[in-house]
Amino acid sequence: MNRRHAQGSTRAADASMTLINEVYRTPVDPAYAEAAARQAAGRAPRRTLRGSVALLVLAVALGAFATTAAVALRRPAPAALQARTLLENEIRDRTAAADELRRTNAELSAEIARLQQSAASTDDPELFAQLQRDAVAAGVVPVTGPGVRVVLTDGAPAADAAPDDASALVLDLDLQVLVNGLWAAGAEAVAVNGERITTTTAIRSAGAAVLVDSTALSSPYTVEAVGDAVAMQTALARTSAGQHLASLSQYGITVKMSSQRSLELPGRGQLTLRSARVADGAVDGSGDGSAAGDGSDAPASSSDVAGSGRHDGEGAR
Amino acid sequence: MIALIGLVLGVVAGLVIEPTVPADLQPYLPIAVVAALDALFGGLRAYLDGIFDERVFLTSFLSNVVVAALVVFLGDQLGVGSQMTTAVIVVLGIRIFSNAASIRRHLFKA
Repeated sequence: MNRRHAQGSTRAADASMTLINEVYRTPVDPAYAEAAARQAAGRAPRRTLRGSVALLVLAVALGAFATTAAVALRRPAPAALQARTLLENEIRDRTAAADELRRTNAELSAEIARLQQSAASTDDPELFAQLQRDAVAAGVVPVTGPGVRVVLTDGAPAADAAPDDASALVLDLDLQVLVNGLWAAGAEAVAVNGERITTTTAIRSAGAAVLVDSTALSSPYTVEAVGDAVAMQTALARTSAGQHLASLSQYGITVKMSSQRSLELPGRGQLTLRSARVADGAVDGSGDGSAAGDGSDAPASSSDVAGSGRHDGEGAR
Repeated sequence: MIALIGLVLGVVAGLVIEPTVPADLQPYLPIAVVAALDALFGGLRAYLDGIFDERVFLTSFLSNVVVAALVVFLGDQLGVGSQMTTAVIVVLGIRIFSNAASIRRHLFKA
């Protein structure tokens, strides 16, 4: 018992923390002390030229390595950069491809319109006129005429605003309200930044961007509407859309409205309806009956469907 | 003196040439830099203690960096890489702190 007791007392109180003590109390490499002791005892190895050169080379290498490491760590990780570049390229490629397809689409619908014109104008002028009206209403063909132009510009963010504060930005909601207001005010065709609003067009936001269909738009947003300019402006001011526009200025968004003598709105191109069919008996017999039954004359029926869809859509917008 | 000149030369060379570090070595850079810092502080303290030795400094520098990277590399292979990193950082961090405290006592006598 005594012996054990004595043995125990020789143990340091913090014996369980020797590791930490070791690290904390002897932070300097003991080799320094040994080298100094050797030096003092005169047993230090004589310095040779080769040793000095080796020392110098080692020092240069270590310095260069440490600097390289520090510089490399300050750089953004190459993997992240690579991924970013890859994505950027992909976005650019896909956008170019989409533009190309859109152009082809426009060309083809122009050709369809031309062919329809040559076919229908000779055979059935009445059907052709109907087709033209429907095509304009459906936003398939480019139109021109007088109208109003409304330009919405993002405001500068407030100085104390959070970086992700979007209150000074034009939102999809603002454009939706404006476009609705314009339809309600009697617009016959509407386009946002050159994107024709059709029966199937959606205005929505994806992150900070506003998408019209699948095209990302950015400020300034130019909304053009063909119609009676004076009447539209008056009507717009009376509706809640006008109030909404007026309230935008308090967020720093600039709203500029002007009447234009001549606006040119692009066409959306041929609409492809995959699911919608003309309901039985929904088409009056004034020449469209054969078109509805005949699949080869699809454009006539599809624009007809689109035309009626527009009126449905108006209420929903 | 040779060590100091060499280090300065190396730093300048590193800044001028800006060599790229192979991607495989990238994960071990932070730990290597911390190990280098530890060696630097140790050398500075030894210098203030009057027992500085170039050979010891450079070899401790080299072995610090290599061993730290090696330990983390082994940890990575064993699937405990992040824990190993933590362990090395803790040990080197404590040493850097206590060396810095000792240097402070030398310089400011407080």
